[in-house]
Amino acid sequence: MITLKEGNWRIPKWNRKVFAVAGGLTNYRKFCPEMKIEEQAMVAFRQMLENNDLRFSPVEIKGLVNFLACGSFADHFQDQLLCEAKVTDYLGLDPMYDIGIKTGGATGGSTVLTAAMAIASGYADVALAIGWERMSEVDTRTGNYYIATAACKDFETRLSRIYSAYYAPMAVRFAWAYNLSEETRAKVAVKNHLYAYYSPYSQQPGKYTIQDVLNSPMSTYPLRFLECCAMTDGAACMLLCDEKTAYKLTDKPCELFIAGGSHTLRVADRRDMEIPLLPHETPEMYRGLRKKEGQRWPGFESFAAARFAAYFAYRMAGITNPLKELDLVELHDAFTISDIQTYGDIGLRPYGQEPDYIESGDAYFGGKCPANLSGGLIGTMHAVGATGIFSGVECLWQLQGKYDKFHGDRRIWDSFGKKKPEDWKSLQVPNAKQALWISHAGVGSHVTAGILRKAF
Amino acid sequence: MASKRKTTKYTGKPAKVLQSEPAIVIEWPRSLAHRHTYGKLSPFFKGLTEGKLLATKCVNRECGEHRLWLPPRADCPDCNQPMVWEELPQPIIGTVHTYARVEYAGAGIELTTPYFQIDVELPGVCTIFKGYLQHGTPEIGMKVKACFRTEDPSNTILDMYWIPVPSDADVRS
Ligand SMILES: [Zn+2]
Repeated sequence: MITLKEGNWRIPKWNRKVFAVAGGLTNYRKFCPEMKIEEQAMVAFRQMLENNDLRFSPVEIKGLVNFLACGSFADHFQDQLLCEAKVTDYLGLDPMYDIGIKTGGATGGSTVLTAAMAIASGYADVALAIGWERMSEVDTRTGNYYIATAACKDFETRLSRIYSAYYAPMAVRFAWAYNLSEETRAKVAVKNHLYAYYSPYSQQPGKYTIQDVLNSPMSTYPLRFLECCAMTDGAACMLLCDEKTAYKLTDKPCELFIAGGSHTLRVADRRDMEIPLLPHETPEMYRGLRKKEGQRWPGFESFAAARFAAYFAYRMAGITNPLKELDLVELHDAFTISDIQTYGDIGLRPYGQEPDYIESGDAYFGGKCPANLSGGLIGTMHAVGATGIFSGVECLWQLQGKYDKFHGDRRIWDSFGKKKPEDWKSLQVPNAKQALWISHAGVGSHVTAGILRKAF
Repeated sequence: MASKRKTTKYTGKPAKVLQSEPAIVIEWPRSLAHRHTYGKLSPFFKGLTEGKLLATKCVNRECGEHRLWLPPRADCPDCNQPMVWEELPQPIIGTVHTYARVEYAGAGIELTTPYFQIDVELPGVCTIFKGYLQHGTPEIGMKVKACFRTEDPSNTILDMYWIPVPSDADVRS
């Protein structure tokens, strides 16, 4: 049993406020042969500098940057060690110091966290968080194996060599413990593919029905291909500043809080432990939770890393009731099941009632707290090192009221060689003030929870 | 002396051009064999080839965790002291905690698909142990028995697998 002492529970605190002011994305695709990875990083960087209504010219902004956090997950995909040096040089930011960040699927979140720490500590006034991945260097099955080396090499990797096989047991167990239907899982896939339909950046847009999802080929039972994210080539970046610089650069800065949690790579080793409570929860809520034989927390049902990330981030940001105080969320829906599991971890529903977040309609556009209006990982992208930045950027644009600007502008669609759908609709959440995004690695080995708050 | 210097020759194998539009994409072969150590867990992997399942246990009296660890680890994460080995008594009967049916596996898979991967609870073990079911269809709560690939071992975790334990009803019929 993991027991935590006082120091472990300390709530992270910035020494000074941190703000996000701008973001940039790329046209996410499975295989992007026309550009090298640093060239894709440039595309995201240019969008960030040129299209975010910043008051300074791109060259002036570059003159303010004094730190870079660079996220990329897998050296064996790109086959280029120290790629961050190539990217920093390519963006023309030499000789500013860049640190390479690597925490699996949570690399993007950890990259933003690192850049934020640089601002909060005073190391930097302006920091660039940039992430990328180039997964198309290998064929899909080799890619599946490469990703599966993010399971325990000695005890797990040889048992599947594909990541869906590490989430599928969670789906089976969750369904048994908390009555999750296949239809509810499929609804998550339908929703996120649909929201991707409105995004020019998306790799897997589609108008699917629940039956389409359930009839799609099986990856690892019970997870179908339409319930799984794809492999992606692409990049994303976000510009972070201290308070003074933020208001100089933009009239629409958002305050940033972000914290993380980790847990052992092997789900097998997740011993039963006390559930750390979120601000709005009470011990009584979970008295009857582990009533079935062999149940443990977090076990195969939940992610302690996500719970800890939320535990710290909510307190850091002063959030007392997430469902009430968050206007939207971007979750790490690598698989439908991991998306659903996370609803409990971050308190959108109490543990055991996660499916209700979908079934109630809360998770949809127009609902209480819509999730993954970007299309998420299932619909839009999972260029691993960029993902946790992409999700944050989508939150930032929502809070700045710029969903339409960045998703509805025909010129963006055209520049990606895509046709803007005739029935395109805006997914701008009216008056959004606060958003949360999750960046998640492994089978829940690392999770960051980032919160952006409108500061204008 | 420059005049005596031999000409540098290209000795590689030309890279295969996979496509040339809209950009040149070449094949970049990589074939590697790593040297991987099982380190202090070597007794576990040796045990599998001998039909034994070895777990580790913390014997520090001040530690709060005295159950077995499977997968084993040499050192206790709670008190950071070295642990000791303990062999599980045979027959090793576990309970299916959860499972998955692998249909589409990644490159290099060494099992014929589809197959069932199972996560097994074992009495006295604080962790849940991942393996595969050689035959039959798993369900949560089902009893399974550990078997070993002692002949022609793979020298990997695949030297151990599970088979269903017939229920009383099956035995009678
Ligand atoms: Zn111990």
